[in-house]
Amino acid sequence: MKLILAGVLAGLLAATAAKADEMVFTSWGGTTQEAQTKSWAEPFAASSGIKVLQDGPTDYGKLKAMVDAKNVTWDVVDVEMDFAIKAAKDGLLEPIDFAAVPKADLDPRFSNEHAVGSFYYSFVLAWNKGTVSGEPTGWADMFDTKKFPGKRTFYKWSAPGVIEIALLADGVPADKLYPLDLDRAFKKLDTIKSDIVWWGGGAESQQLIASGEAAFGQLWNGRVFALEKDGADVGVSWNQNLTAADVLVVPKGAKNKDSAMKFLAAATSPTGQAKFAEASGYAPINTKAKAEMAADVVKGLPDAHVDGQINLDMNYWAEHRDEIATRWYAWQTK
Amino acid sequence: MTGTAFRRQSFAGLPAGSGGALPALTLVGLFFIVPVVALLLRSVTEPEPGLQNYAALFGSGTYVRVFLNTFLVAAVVTIVTIVVAFPVAWMLAIMPPALGSVVFGIIILSMWTNLLTRTYAWMVLLQRTGVINRALMSLGIIHEPLPLINNLTGVTIGMVYIMLPFMILPLVGTLRAIDPMTLRAAALCGASPLQAFRRILLPLSLPGIAAGGLMVFVMSLGYFVTPALLGGTSNMMLAEMIAQTVQSLLNWGLGSATAFVLLVVTMALYAIQLRLVGARRLAGGL
Repeated sequence: MKLILAGVLAGLLAATAAKADEMVFTSWGGTTQEAQTKSWAEPFAASSGIKVLQDGPTDYGKLKAMVDAKNVTWDVVDVEMDFAIKAAKDGLLEPIDFAAVPKADLDPRFSNEHAVGSFYYSFVLAWNKGTVSGEPTGWADMFDTKKFPGKRTFYKWSAPGVIEIALLADGVPADKLYPLDLDRAFKKLDTIKSDIVWWGGGAESQQLIASGEAAFGQLWNGRVFALEKDGADVGVSWNQNLTAADVLVVPKGAKNKDSAMKFLAAATSPTGQAKFAEASGYAPINTKAKAEMAADVVKGLPDAHVDGQINLDMNYWAEHRDEIATRWYAWQTK
Repeated sequence: MTGTAFRRQSFAGLPAGSGGALPALTLVGLFFIVPVVALLLRSVTEPEPGLQNYAALFGSGTYVRVFLNTFLVAAVVTIVTIVVAFPVAWMLAIMPPALGSVVFGIIILSMWTNLLTRTYAWMVLLQRTGVINRALMSLGIIHEPLPLINNLTGVTIGMVYIMLPFMILPLVGTLRAIDPMTLRAAALCGASPLQAFRRILLPLSLPGIAAGGLMVFVMSLGYFVTPALLGGTSNMMLAEMIAQTVQSLLNWGLGSATAFVLLVVTMALYAIQLRLVGARRLAGGL
C-alpha cells in the first residue's frame, strides 16, 4: 500500500516538475490552438531547443486555482484582454519582461504590463445569403425584424460585445458608448428577445449561420473567414466592427518564466504573427507582420476595415464585469 | 439465500463501527466528506467570512429562477423517461433471451457513444431547418417550423434520450422478477389488461421505477452539456450557472454556495425517497 502510494506521489511530482528545457502553453483548443502550435510553438522549439507542451482549454478558474495553490503548471496562457486586466489587479500574473520581449512594434491597444497581444479579432455581422434577402448594412438591421425576419444569434455569455451592439443599434454614437447605459441596452434587446438564439462557442456560431437556423449573427471574424473558406454562402458586414483581443499572459509563479518570455518574444514577432494570421484569419498585433503576409489574406483582416472600427473598452469591462454579469443573467433567464 | 439477505442488509444499514466497513467508510470520507466540507468552508469564507454568498444567492431572483428551472427540467425529464422506458423495459423483460440481449446491446451501445456527439446530432434533427421540421413541412403537415430547440422541448427530448438506459436497466431487473403467473391469475379472475397493469404490474414494479427515477432525477439536476446546447437561456440550469460563476467570474464563494445548496436539496430528496420506498426495495430495484 505504502509502496503504491509512494509510486503515485513520485509520478505526480515528476509530472508537475517540468524540466528546464520544457514549458507549457495553454490555449482554447480547436483551430486556434492548432494555428498557434504550427506558427509559434513548433518554430520556437526548433530554434531555441525548448520543447513546448500543449494544454487546454483555457480555464480561468483553473488558472486561479494554480496560483492560489502555488502549483502552477502553465507557463503561457491565452486569455481574453478584460480577464487579463482583472487578473493582473488580483495578483494572478507575472509582469512581462520587456527586456526579453521587444515592445516597439506591438500595437499598444493590445498590450500592457502583464500581457502581450496574442491576436485580435472583430465581431462582425454575418448572415446566411440563402435565408436573408437583401443586404443588411449594420447592427441596426439585426434589430429590425420587420425588414429582416429570422432568428438572430448572439454570444451567450456576459462579455464585451452584445451590450455595445444593442446601444449602437439604438443610435448611440461610437464615441459615447462608455460608460455603458445598461438600461437602454436591455430595453433595446427586449425588442428582439424572442428572436435571439444564443451561441456559446465558435463552432456553434458557425453551425447556426451555415445551416440557416439563425439568419444573422454576431460572429468572430475568424469564424466567418473559416466558413467562407469552406464554401458556405455567407455575407458579412464590417460596418462598426468591434475589436477585442486575446492576450498571452504568464501566471504568477510559473515554473519556466524565462522560457515563457522567450516564447512570448517569438509569438509576437512579425513572422510569428504573420504566420498565425494567415492560418487563422485573425489579425496580427505586431504592426510589422502585414509586410510578411500574402496580399489576399491582408484584405480579409480587421486591419483592412479600420473605417468605422470600434474598440471595445476592456478596461471598462474589467472594472464592471461583475455588475454587468448580474444584470446580464437576470435579464437572460427571465 | 441467507447470504444475499445478509449482504443487502449490511449495505443498506451501514452499521457503524463494524470493521468490515472501514475501508468503504474511509473512501467515502476521503472522496465525499472532505470535498463537501471544503466546499462548505469556501462558501462561507470567500471573499470574506460570513453568509453573504447565501444572502446573495437567495436574494437574487436570477439564482432562484435558475434553481426552479433546474428542478422543473429534472422533474419533466424524469417523468417522461419513466413513461417512455416502461414499455421498452416490459418488452425486454418478456422477450426471448437471445433477442433481448441484442436489444440490450443496442441500448448500451448508445450509452457508450460520445455525449457531445449525441447532443449535436439532436441539434441537427430538431432545429428549424432540421430533418424533423423539413420532413413535416414537405409532407404538408405543418407550414411553420415547430420550435423544437432552445427551449424546454429540446432539453427534454435530448435528456430523456440520454437518460433512458438508466431508467430501463433497473426497470428490467424489477419486471423480470415479477412472476408472470400473477398477471395470468389476474386475467383469469376477470381483470382487463388495463386493470392488471394498474393493480398488479405497476405496484410490483414501483421499486424499479423509484430507483431509476431517483437516478435520472439526480443526474438531471447536475446536467451540463445537453441543456446548454439544446435549451434556451430562459431554462438555463444550475450546472451551467455554477460553471460560469466559477470559471469566468471567478466568484468561487458564490459558486460554492450554489453547489452546496444543490447538494443539500438533492440529499434531502434522496432521504425523502428512502423514507417512502425504503432502502432495501430501492437497492432491490437496482
